[in-house]
Amino acid sequence: MKYIFIIISLLIMAVAPFYGQIEISLSNINNISAMDHKLFWDLRLPRVIVAFFTGAILGLSGLLFQSLFRNPMSTPFTLGVASGATLGTAFAIVFGFISMTAMFGFFGAILTVVILFSITSRLKAYETSSLLLVGIALSFFYSAALMILFYLSDETQSYEIVRFTMGSLDVVGLKHTIPIVLTSILLLVLSINYQREIKLLLTSYDNAFLKGIEVKKINTILLISVSIGIGVAVSITGPIGFVGLIVPHILKTIYKKSADKLLHVTFFYSGIFLVLCDLISRNIGTASDIPIGVITAFLGGPFFIYLLIRRKKV
Amino acid sequence: MLKISNFSNSILSNIDFHIKEDENLIILGSNGAGKSTLAKVLCGITYSDSVELFSQNLSELSAKQRAQFINYIPPKLEIFDEYISLYEYLELSKLYSELSIQDAISLLGLDELKEKHCIKLSSGEQQLSMLASSLLHNAKLTIFDEPTSNLDPQKTLNVYNILKSDKLQNRIIITHDLNLAYKLGYKILYLQNGKIEFFDKSEKFFEEANLYKIFGSSIKHVDDYFMVNL
Repeated sequence: MKYIFIIISLLIMAVAPFYGQIEISLSNINNISAMDHKLFWDLRLPRVIVAFFTGAILGLSGLLFQSLFRNPMSTPFTLGVASGATLGTAFAIVFGFISMTAMFGFFGAILTVVILFSITSRLKAYETSSLLLVGIALSFFYSAALMILFYLSDETQSYEIVRFTMGSLDVVGLKHTIPIVLTSILLLVLSINYQREIKLLLTSYDNAFLKGIEVKKINTILLISVSIGIGVAVSITGPIGFVGLIVPHILKTIYKKSADKLLHVTFFYSGIFLVLCDLISRNIGTASDIPIGVITAFLGGPFFIYLLIRRKKV
Repeated sequence: MLKISNFSNSILSNIDFHIKEDENLIILGSNGAGKSTLAKVLCGITYSDSVELFSQNLSELSAKQRAQFINYIPPKLEIFDEYISLYEYLELSKLYSELSIQDAISLLGLDELKEKHCIKLSSGEQQLSMLASSLLHNAKLTIFDEPTSNLDPQKTLNVYNILKSDKLQNRIIITHDLNLAYKLGYKILYLQNGKIEFFDKSEKFFEEANLYKIFGSSIKHVDDYFMVNL
């Protein structure tokens, strides 16, 4: 069963670059003079790569946040980290730092994590539900700030911000995929490196402490790395919600394994999930593609509610 | 070996005692007296700079050293991830013991449960699992917080035999079970309202006059046993 899923996933990956508004035929991709060649190597392939590695970062980040904050609903999105990155990026667009959008997005994410951290240290013993509320409050605050930025921006800038907040995987040229590929792989390597620590944290903070883990240090390292990852991902693709929420949950119900054993699995399937969503968005659109964030939110929204209902029952 | 000097917080006041290398300790006390609070201070979960372990200040130990020196077994198993199996939990606990994981499992009769997810175990089974984990951790000093509170008579006997065996190094046992305290015969510390009410040898604690002073007529001494006078 496991292998069938892997094969199907690889197949999706393999065919994804060929389908869209214009279908590319396999025979043309090595023919330099053909239109298909440019389309494939400059647009489609980079897009699929970005989709895969962005999905991977989002999924892995979701899994780590859920584990570290002890709440199945905490992801970089529900806790406002992604909104922070969005606001940072929008700020860069409006105030003319276009070339530094990635850096601003990254700062937005880090700033949010710092705020969350300073609040958690004031809460008694990891009150995660209050933390979630703080995240929601932050998100509202950020969207208000985003509104102000809209108000200050001119027409092209607001169009850019709108497009950005809907999420987009448009990337031109293979070399632009490098930051996201590197970041996501580093995050995976780092989290696998801390597998034992993560597993101990998954028992309880006290138990991890007693077994000789420097709980605060490990938590900080992991959360900062996740924020860096999210900062990079959001600054390139815009906020793409729900991947980090639903994919880890689905994988947990299928695999029935603890989170530390699902790090690479989540990485892989979250990537595939986003490639699939992107494939859908490119093929049901008419004049232009439906933004990827719309597809994931469409699938994720109902699932989030389903999760809430199921949690109540348990 | 263990020394706490003049520690106070919102629950405990003026806690000051020490135990030597060859001593073990029983901590007794009414509900809410501060036994678990004291245990958490002693093992470092609650931060303080008043605890000394093997002549080193607990707050200055590295995380690894601390784990080698002290371990605390809480009354209830806390596990966040629902898919961690008993075997995996014990794997995480194996630190300084020569004992294999399988040995610990057999000792506590957990063979049939080892693939089960921890949160699905009954409270008694969880208690046994934590005991197995303490054997595998094998810290120089282990604090057990009510290790027999959820066990049936046979398991209690089994756990009693393990608690007094040399499979553990030094130990502090928090309990309400006077029989357990009496049979183990360790030094006794009695807490009341966050203060040390009694700290001396077992024989002195179990003198009739002292028992009456602490428990009134709620305890009955029959032969070599202490029971609640229902």
